Amino acid sequence: MRLVRYTYPSYRSLATLPAGLARSPWSGLESEIDRLFESALGDFTTVPSTRFPVDLYEDKNNTYVRAELPGFNRDDINVEVVDGYLNLTAARKAPTVPATDSAQAEGQAAPALSLSRSIGIPEDVQADKVSAAYENGVLTVTLPKREEAKPKKVTVAVK
Amino acid sequence: MSLFNTLVPSFTRETPSRASGAGPAVRPAYEIKETDEAYGLTVFLPGVAKEGLELTAESTELRIVGRRGWQQPAGWTAIYRESAPASFELVLAHDNAIDADKIVAELKDGVLRASLPKAAALKPRKIAVN
Repeated sequence: MRLVRYTYPSYRSLATLPAGLARSPWSGLESEIDRLFESALGDFTTVPSTRFPVDLYEDKNNTYVRAELPGFNRDDINVEVVDGYLNLTAARKAPTVPATDSAQAEGQAAPALSLSRSIGIPEDVQADKVSAAYENGVLTVTLPKREEAKPKKVTVAVK
Repeated sequence: MSLFNTLVPSFTRETPSRASGAGPAVRPAYEIKETDEAYGLTVFLPGVAKEGLELTAESTELRIVGRRGWQQPAGWTAIYRESAPASFELVLAHDNAIDADKIVAELKDGVLRASLPKAAALKPRKIAVN
């Protein structure tokens, strides 16, 4: 007796292919699973539009906050330091004048949007020396540390 | 083992999103709007400069790869992270519906706006009746 695995007839199995070129019976299932994962995880990984991702970094002299805020004007981004919190606000007004240039003519002018986030920052920040820069849709806020918070290096002579 | 690989090739194959060889990639947030003339595509690519952006139009596929220009400088320690350092990759499949020669794209402040004109065959046509 010979055992023959039943394959569902498709154009691939109907055409006579050399054994090396025949597709694995799993490949259809595979791409289907990939597609399911892509759509399920794709929604999962994109951040909801009302909450923007924020990163915190630190070096010897400063603490840095980097916020991803694509598509805002510099004037519409507000950075405030209040009571040990850093408040980031970004607002976009709905365009009043219809855009004329070619890339925006397809009715894709950005809709009105307002985002804000409050981040607890370390106590040793000099609030009056905070600076911020916006480049390529990423806002970088530099929070200088107070002198006494910086690591001090004291060399002690050994007798 | 070779029999196992033939039966379950997923153990040896590349995952589709990494196939471009750019390391791990995330899919950016994007919007597509449609008018009679064109599709308007907006892709949010924070941290991607013009130099790091690649837009490839093939006959049935539009591929957007954005590499972040900013690298964590030496001496910076990450305290808390929400963003991924991965580059962005978006592949949009279409049925040859886009006139690839007339694509206009603009990257500003981390937002890519592209106008993808529909191929002539897809546009609505008025037929005069005699």
